[in-house]
Amino acid sequence: MNPYFITANDFDAFVTKMSKDKKVIGPKAKKQKFVFGEIKSADHLRLDYDVTILPPKKVFTPTCQTLVTFDGDKFEGNVDNDGVILFGVHFYDIRGIDITDLLFRENNRDVNYLAKREASTIVGSNIQNVSKRSFWGSIGTSDSGPKGHDAFLTKMDGGYVLECLTQKGEDLVKFGNWSKASAAQVSEAEKINKDVMDKCSQKLSHSSSEIAEKVRNSFDNQELWSNLAEDCFSCGSCNTVCPTCYCFDVQDKWNLNQVSGMRNRYWDSCLTEDFAKVSLGAGSEENFRETRGERFRHRIMRKATYLNEKLGTPACVGCGRCSAACTADIADPVNVINKIMEV
Amino acid sequence: MTATDYSQVAPQGNIFLPKECKIVNVKQVTELERHFTLKHADGSKVKFEPGQIMEVSLFGFGEIPIGYASSPTRENTFDIVIRTVGRVSGAVNKLNEGDSLFIRGPLGHGFPLEDLRKKDVLIVAGGIGLCPTRSLIQYITDKRSEFKRFILFYGTKDPSQQMFLDDIAKWKKANDVEYHETVDRGDSNWKGNVGVITELFKKTELSADTRVVICGPPIMFRFVVAECEKVGIKYENIYLDLERRMKCGVGKCGHCQINDKYACIDGPVFRYSDLKKLEEAL
Repeated sequence: MNPYFITANDFDAFVTKMSKDKKVIGPKAKKQKFVFGEIKSADHLRLDYDVTILPPKKVFTPTCQTLVTFDGDKFEGNVDNDGVILFGVHFYDIRGIDITDLLFRENNRDVNYLAKREASTIVGSNIQNVSKRSFWGSIGTSDSGPKGHDAFLTKMDGGYVLECLTQKGEDLVKFGNWSKASAAQVSEAEKINKDVMDKCSQKLSHSSSEIAEKVRNSFDNQELWSNLAEDCFSCGSCNTVCPTCYCFDVQDKWNLNQVSGMRNRYWDSCLTEDFAKVSLGAGSEENFRETRGERFRHRIMRKATYLNEKLGTPACVGCGRCSAACTADIADPVNVINKIMEV
Repeated sequence: MTATDYSQVAPQGNIFLPKECKIVNVKQVTELERHFTLKHADGSKVKFEPGQIMEVSLFGFGEIPIGYASSPTRENTFDIVIRTVGRVSGAVNKLNEGDSLFIRGPLGHGFPLEDLRKKDVLIVAGGIGLCPTRSLIQYITDKRSEFKRFILFYGTKDPSQQMFLDDIAKWKKANDVEYHETVDRGDSNWKGNVGVITELFKKTELSADTRVVICGPPIMFRFVVAECEKVGIKYENIYLDLERRMKCGVGKCGHCQINDKYACIDGPVFRYSDLKKLEEAL
């Protein structure tokens, strides 16, 4: 696969032509913030975003996704295999998608996620502005770089370099006036992406493996977890904005006729009080994670230790969205983990 | 034993599509519980391992995780018991013979039959825990010569909570089933044991090489495991059938996590020696 170059002047025409041919989802402005949304022309696209409110997971796991439709006792699946071009994704969000790819693929393969994901094209882009709460620079190692994307775009003086990694990435070149990139342009792109890694103002104090071990060994420190979670509202905002949170609830909805309807999955949050609760009948129930401390601990364990072996990286990508979304400002993994490392 | 990969057997490979079943027989067994006998609507044989679960559903109401309550040795039909607890179970418990309901399964890991064969087996069932263990009880009684001693402890809150009364009558009479029962509170007709289920350990001598299967309310596990320890039974020979909110049943939705394990795909049956490493298990 080849690296390509396009001038800044030709770039807008490329985006506009691409978005006329296929559905393109990319970063757009929303008031003072940014969101992933449909890009219909180049002037919508804001590749200078720092971070989006929600990660692009919403493209492949919508907040409400119909799994089955039914009419009386007849039913059918509702698999969405319409691919999109997910454009302008920062490397930490590519890593988030790579993680959910693995988790939806392993054991019982979930076509409700994978059909759309595998039909889609993902184009990364370099980070032009660094968000205040991000700490991706201190997570993982260089050999755990992003995977699963089809091409990566880097802005530089005078234009953009597009590094194509798959045929799906290569197929985008036809939409614009791309020429072969020079060796100097390619090494300039590499430098830009390397240099940005030092730009986060927040940093984890230890390596991922040191953190994984210490956090796991802190499981039984009840005082630590109840102190960390003391101000938690159990609202689940940290889960909602997390690129690697994908837990869901499944609920049936009737249509007005009370005969047909749908079985939907909705985003769910392990920080909410009812998440692990079961009813046992006759008015009794059991909540397997009853306290805020237990739920807070589960989230940190899940992000910092439980999945590391399987993923080769922590299940936290350092985007800092949870830090910004937390009402009580207690979710910030940098504060939480650095504090645990000092205990 | 490997967990069933439902994507390999699900309709169209879609793990959220169920199979239709027909109700062959239904009995009210306690005030809250009904016992259903079901067959696959397409007439196919029923294949699963004792201890595995399924997601039972009714469209418009939702899905609930339920254990198989009969043995796969009886391959034309299977049993489930539904306790009226909420929206789905309430709706299922209004169904009658000939009605359809829907299942996704079998799911998860069942009881380790290969580890139980040629061994003494003790099953400790508390309350509704008798339902999933009945899949193993029937399996053992159907293939009795494959196992050594078979001891069954059954405890309920009171006599009215006892289920499978026909089975109990048979187990009491059988020479090759050592059946012991207790209730937390008796009534005027009750002449049997009164007390918690651990009292039944006094009724019989167990060998240290016994394989133990435990299923019941979460509070029960610790106490029963402590009794097993007294007899010298090793942790790896104790199996626990755990209850969790197994919402999707296929290891995706996250609700049934026990530390880094999923009750629905890594369990619901676990070896106690494996659970010792999981602080959230008991």
